[in-house]
Amino acid sequence: MSATTHAHATGAAERGKVAIWWFLASEIMLFGGLISSFVISRLGGGAQVDHGHLNVTVAAVNTFILLSSSYTMVEAFGCAERGDRRAMRLFLGLTVLGGLAFLGLKAYEYTGEILHGFTPWAGTFWSFYYTMTGLHALHVLIGVIANATLCVAARLGLERPYRVEVAGLYWHFVDIVWIFLFPLVYLS
Amino acid sequence: MNGTVLTRGYVVIWGWLLVLMTLSLFANTLPVSRPAIVTLMFVVAAVKAVLVALHFMHLRVERWLIYAIAIVPVLLVFGLMLALFPDFVFAR
Repeated sequence: MSATTHAHATGAAERGKVAIWWFLASEIMLFGGLISSFVISRLGGGAQVDHGHLNVTVAAVNTFILLSSSYTMVEAFGCAERGDRRAMRLFLGLTVLGGLAFLGLKAYEYTGEILHGFTPWAGTFWSFYYTMTGLHALHVLIGVIANATLCVAARLGLERPYRVEVAGLYWHFVDIVWIFLFPLVYLS
Repeated sequence: MNGTVLTRGYVVIWGWLLVLMTLSLFANTLPVSRPAIVTLMFVVAAVKAVLVALHFMHLRVERWLIYAIAIVPVLLVFGLMLALFPDFVFAR
């Protein structure tokens, strides 16, 4: 890589990183506002959790999957930096599989709840539940698409390590949101 | 794994995340009051979030600009929540 090309790549990496952090800042406000509203509603007596009708086991498995996919994502970035393209594709593929498994289990969970009559309009708690977890699932779907795209790009030799880093920052943020949603909705 | 080198530091953090997740799951069985259990769950969640942010998102080695971008919205969210407490929580 020539000095000019290297400088260009470094500049793009810096811009990409700052840009994704600005985006994540807006996402913190989005999820933060939603979670704050739920906390205030609960403390104010408005949205009491319907513990008996939530599938904690599936949610716990999903937590394990997301935490593990965060790990595979950071390993993918490590491999990208080392220039180990084969391992990078493997870890990106595992991350995509984790995301798909999360979405599949979430769909299973939603189906069971809706079939038992717990629809988004079944009460304040269920409105919050579907809004928060649905918005989160949408973010997981976007992350899966981004990571799958990177995986295909790596196969074609088009990958750049900073793109994996940027996608990873987004994926870890999605993981952090779930880290708070899990105890807030299912356990407390 | 066909010669793929796993990063030891990341594996350790992943292990801690799983340990903390297990602690959250079994917190409800602890012989302490309900508010103490809920507090414990959210402290554990905060620790997990910090571990992911510092190690997986590499905030540990980032410069002040990235910290500022990340922390300001978190403070704003807490501010928003606390500002609404008198109207919705304390007014009960």
